[in-house]
Amino acid sequence: MGWRELVERALPVAGALAAEGIRPGDRVALVFPTGEEFFDACFGALLAGAVPVPLYPPVRLGRLGEYHRRTGALLTAAGARMVLTDRRVGSLLGESVERAGPEVAFRTLDRLPAAGPAPSPSAAPDDLALVQFSSGTIAGPKPVALSHRAILAQVERLNRHWRHIEGVSGVSWLPLYHDMGLIGCIFPALEHHAVLTLVPPELFVSRPALWLRTVSRYRAAVSPAPNFAYALCVDRVRDEEMEGVDLSCWRVALNGAEAVAPAVLRRFVARFGRWGFRPEALSPVYGLSEAALAVTFSDLERAFVSARFDRERLAGEGVAASDPEGVELVSVGRPLPDFTVEIRNGTGEALPVGRVGRIWVRGPSLMSGYLGRPEETARTLVDGWLDTGDLGFLRDGELYLTGRAKDLLILRGRNYRPEDVEHAVDGLPAVRTGCTAAVSFLPEGADGERLVLFVETARGFDGDGAALSAACRARVLEATGLRLDEIVALARGTLPRTSSGKIRRGESLRRWLAGGLHPPARVSPLRMLGALARSRLALARHRRRSAE
Amino acid sequence: MTTRAEILAAVGQVAREVLQHQGPIEAHLRLVEDLELDSLQLLSLAVEVENRFRVRLDPPDEERIQTVGDLVAIVAEKLGGVPSPSTP
Repeated sequence: MGWRELVERALPVAGALAAEGIRPGDRVALVFPTGEEFFDACFGALLAGAVPVPLYPPVRLGRLGEYHRRTGALLTAAGARMVLTDRRVGSLLGESVERAGPEVAFRTLDRLPAAGPAPSPSAAPDDLALVQFSSGTIAGPKPVALSHRAILAQVERLNRHWRHIEGVSGVSWLPLYHDMGLIGCIFPALEHHAVLTLVPPELFVSRPALWLRTVSRYRAAVSPAPNFAYALCVDRVRDEEMEGVDLSCWRVALNGAEAVAPAVLRRFVARFGRWGFRPEALSPVYGLSEAALAVTFSDLERAFVSARFDRERLAGEGVAASDPEGVELVSVGRPLPDFTVEIRNGTGEALPVGRVGRIWVRGPSLMSGYLGRPEETARTLVDGWLDTGDLGFLRDGELYLTGRAKDLLILRGRNYRPEDVEHAVDGLPAVRTGCTAAVSFLPEGADGERLVLFVETARGFDGDGAALSAACRARVLEATGLRLDEIVALARGTLPRTSSGKIRRGESLRRWLAGGLHPPARVSPLRMLGALARSRLALARHRRRSAE
Repeated sequence: MTTRAEILAAVGQVAREVLQHQGPIEAHLRLVEDLELDSLQLLSLAVEVENRFRVRLDPPDEERIQTVGDLVAIVAEKLGGVPSPSTP
């Protein structure tokens, strides 16, 4: 589809939305799979002066209860006037819309009234252009309000990053409700009049080789993805699926939206170098939805940079001291043009180079605020600076991430609230209600973040750690679709708490990693057995693959 | 005609090859609670089964699917009267 055709298709949608009473500034929630209809709806809403709010469609074969609860809350938080969807997804959305309340209209694209083009409203640079969601700690996902000015500033800087590549084209399988998919791929391609080839995310997930084949087939220079996608390719793509593939065209393989694992970068290069993949294409990046998308980018045409740091000093003193035996961290690069990154301590004072602190960002694409939440906005945006809630340090002008000040689970490029995981196990007889903590972290040498649940056991716990683990795993999978990598059973009172009794998730993780959280002795042998069994299975898998 | 046993065997093959699932795939097993499939694996399973049998699972069908047997039954229903799985 050409960009002109896209506008021609979107104009009648804009007219129909206006006929339906949608006015400039009204939020229109979009729930679509990847496809042409998303573009009709998104650009139709924009041409009507409305504000698109892209939301994710239900998970295939997943349980809908949790989805409706969450989607209803998102619709309310965004103050959506209308939910626009396609017929297939629409047949499922009734309950979500009902939860959002009667003032939210519900339409499928095929049932919009026929109408002429809408009178095109003129948008001012500071008008609201798009609402995307960021996962928050206390009040649930927060609606991030982005102005036209912010989005254009972001898009312009992304394109500037690869302007030296002639005839640049892109491939993306990223969902269009994800900032990396929409702001990172669609909008830059539109601004640059570039060719962009989209692969539905579900096809990538079931056949990761399709991504690589599409990059090769369309000679794409730019294709981004979160860390897990690179790991999935290493694990799942078979040699025969790579027949005829040539990845030498791929100049910018951005890796962001979740923690970047150096082991995955190396394995990806080792695995796909044979098919022309260039090591210097891998570009770890950093960003967040509150900054529209990207904040820092690695230098292109240079292999990724990592260094090892003294573990103890990093965690204990907040000092990044080189240590050849230490923990390996990957640079996520330098600030984009006109962006500034500052590391500050808890009271807001700037810290020197090499000291770990909170990452603050200033730049042209920061959000206008959280929609309708002045207090939270005032806490996050201070004097033109954004408090990212992430922790890290600067070294040679490049940013390294060490963790998060906010309690947030980031898995496969998506943010989840720890509360949703913790609430899922409440009510199990072996679990002390409210005495659990869900955390995620990237272990050294691992391929991706691991999800760990700390559980203080209740009187109903009979010492069967395996049964407890199985029960927690089942509950969490059902409620959130996430698999727990580890369940740590603890005696009551083991988890560190604040003075007001709130469990400190980050501190729990820190102590556990340092060996300072002690589960009851009788659970340990079972956990050991579990670990042995897992290890044996992994070995068997490995052997099978080696034999193939 | 594709029998339910054949469909079950094919689902088992998808589970092993694509989801790297180990252990038996039986009709009574629940996808989430027993097989412990996460959201990405459920997505892969749906897409692979659709591709393999050239059927399309619709949202109302998916609502009814809790177990491997439910999935097999719905695929069999969709294939009903169709001579072979390769015919669209």
